[in-house]
Amino acid sequence: MRFFCSFAIGASLIGMAAAQGVDPQKLMNPPADAWLTYHGEYNGQRHSKLTQITPQNIENLKQVWSFQTTGNQAIKASPILVDGRIYITTPDHIWAVDARTGQELWHYQQPANNAFHIGHRGAAIYKDTVYLTTPDCHLVALDAKSGNVKWDVVIADSGKGYWSSNAPLVVKNHVLVGVSGDFDNVPGQLKSIDADTGKMQWIFYSTPPAGSKDSDSGGATGGQMWTTGTYDPELNLVYVGTGNPTPVLNGNPRPGDNPWTCSIVALNPDTGKLVWGFQVSPHDTHDWDANEVPVLVDAEFDGRPRKMVMQASRNGYFFVLDRTNGKNLLTAPFAAVNWAKGIDALGRPIRDTAKEPKEDGVLVAPNEAGATNFRPPSFDPQTGFLIVNAQDGYGIYFFKSEHGGYGWAGADYNITGKAFLRAIDYRTGKIAWEHPIGDGAGTAGVLTTAAGLTISGDNRTNVIAFRTSDGATLWHQNIGRVQNAPITYLLDGKQYLMVGGGTTLYAFALP
Amino acid sequence: MAARQISLIGAALLAWGLVVAQDPPPIAPGKGGKAEKAAPRPEGQSPASKARPKTVTPQTYTVEQIQTGELRFGAQCGFCHGRDAAGGETGPDLTRSELVAQDVRGDKLGPLVRAGRVDAGMPSFQLNDSELTAIVAFLHRQMDEASTLGGGRRSVEPEDLTTGNAADGRAYFNGTGGCSECHSATGDLAGIATRYQGLTLLQRMLYPSGRPAPSPPKATFTLASGQTIVATLTGEDEFTVTVTDPLGAPQTYQRSAVKVKIENPMAAHFEQLSKYTDASMHNVLAYLETLK
Repeated sequence: MRFFCSFAIGASLIGMAAAQGVDPQKLMNPPADAWLTYHGEYNGQRHSKLTQITPQNIENLKQVWSFQTTGNQAIKASPILVDGRIYITTPDHIWAVDARTGQELWHYQQPANNAFHIGHRGAAIYKDTVYLTTPDCHLVALDAKSGNVKWDVVIADSGKGYWSSNAPLVVKNHVLVGVSGDFDNVPGQLKSIDADTGKMQWIFYSTPPAGSKDSDSGGATGGQMWTTGTYDPELNLVYVGTGNPTPVLNGNPRPGDNPWTCSIVALNPDTGKLVWGFQVSPHDTHDWDANEVPVLVDAEFDGRPRKMVMQASRNGYFFVLDRTNGKNLLTAPFAAVNWAKGIDALGRPIRDTAKEPKEDGVLVAPNEAGATNFRPPSFDPQTGFLIVNAQDGYGIYFFKSEHGGYGWAGADYNITGKAFLRAIDYRTGKIAWEHPIGDGAGTAGVLTTAAGLTISGDNRTNVIAFRTSDGATLWHQNIGRVQNAPITYLLDGKQYLMVGGGTTLYAFALP
Repeated sequence: MAARQISLIGAALLAWGLVVAQDPPPIAPGKGGKAEKAAPRPEGQSPASKARPKTVTPQTYTVEQIQTGELRFGAQCGFCHGRDAAGGETGPDLTRSELVAQDVRGDKLGPLVRAGRVDAGMPSFQLNDSELTAIVAFLHRQMDEASTLGGGRRSVEPEDLTTGNAADGRAYFNGTGGCSECHSATGDLAGIATRYQGLTLLQRMLYPSGRPAPSPPKATFTLASGQTIVATLTGEDEFTVTVTDPLGAPQTYQRSAVKVKIENPMAAHFEQLSKYTDASMHNVLAYLETLK
């Protein structure tokens, strides 16, 4: 109660209507004037119910402000918004920005470190604390108003080859944090950290550390969980995509399917125990992380109401599962694929061993960049379309014994590709429409709104609004390469669209 | 990037018409490329076929500099180029880089690192002199060590790629593959195997890119008068086209303001990627290897 009162006074000073900390209830029912988590909502649909900005009036959309981050790291994060404050991240950095003016409120920078600085996906918030993962695998808890450090814990040993770009997922008082690590043979781990104290609550291994009896990965390491999961409060299950096994291109030292790499896993967030797993790429040898968003949808499938989880995966296949038990409902390709001989009884693609890396090279679709990647798709409930940034890409994959069994353990080269925004009808897996966005792999995530808008970016420097029903272009702005997913929210009764272009964050609204 | 207004276009295109009345000739090898210039490459050699390059000018660095460079390189460059600089997810093997071999204490690497190669996906890095020197020290050390290994990890040697059948490749080239519709063994591809070998030849066969520039896409503008003007396309999206004007400067036009048709000779290469089997790919490579 004391917390509530002090926060209410602070909030009233800046004229906020909703004066509550971000409690579990609020996370389950986020208000329209907030974007509380990486996905906006636990279901990962990245769909907004806001309808002020429409296909008819979007041509009037104007830039309200822009915020320039420092450094040369593009914005690959999704901002979060609460109580009129935006939180945006790049590796080692987080800024709090006034959502009305674009002015910096505070900035925290992690001390210089030598871990990988490849990208950052965003921050998380719980009560009045903002959580930031860092390249050197710290989880830093910061006061949401001041940016002061409350506590700072190490979540993995960056000296062993781990790094973190992860936007944490907060469920109740659990801060779920993942890490990356493809260049060393290290176990895949997801940790739950107590949101108040920073103490570790549990750890889930997708591949077991030496001596563990938890699971049998067939000798594989890897399977890192570096993207943000989704959560079903009714089932009390968290859904997380897991990465590729290591060694990456050499599958010989790790026979079998290598569970739970390249999988969707359902975990109990209170214990970290695996409830079920579904492997989208058994025995991957192409770096096709299954870290794409496991999107939760409640709708009819084959005439029956279903609780589903769906993923357009990096390996080029779209999966619909019953999320109560992990049973497959549909598997269909959504991009160029040539690595599977069919679909097995469980709904998994059957790998064609002829397309595994070879000494003289094999031509494989998709390439390492993937048929899609971590940039979030969006599910539009009105049309039943999962709209995803897809690539028809080709690469050549090599492995010979002298490449060894550690880390990458092979060589691969992307040849070329073409990128499209594609609308997948979840009921059939068929492509309802596609819109070309340029050569190579796409870099933008997707947002849909109840007004029938789809917002994403092309492979050059445009943010583009499309009509969700047919993919027609409605509006665009040249803002720099979009490498993140847009968000939208209400502020003072007005709908805003927010998206990063290059290293700058832009806020748009109607006049 | 400034998009020209329609009122400027007429004059600009007419001016071009004087110079570029017909298709521009293919860009000669070595003169193409974008902002970046190819390192001088001796005829008859490719990075994959010749002996590993070595640092040409001996230069010494302290152990501390190399160690500092190793840490910094790992953090900022390693994701793309590999922590050992021998190639990674998207970046090339720098232990085989001609630029590293030619570099003397950062005189070549420094400008590149600070400017980036944005077109190729490499950002610019703001480094002070001692930070840069450390990275340079590390790269020269890695190159020296790699040159003594003889085919290190993550490398593809020309002899790995000799599994194809040249006769079958020739049949595919002239038949099923349709390659001969655009190419000729005695014309544009004559001597191709003396210019490229191994992995480089395979990559260029599948999708010609990089340097020297392949046949670039061309943009054909049609004026109100019916006159057509052809220019080399350097970039496009749904809303704009960017072409090179006769003075070599990029010019960007709104698609809504001009009538323009784009032809990309590389489109057939993309189509072919879904048609190759691994055998036909290796066979065509074997055939190309005979064109010396």
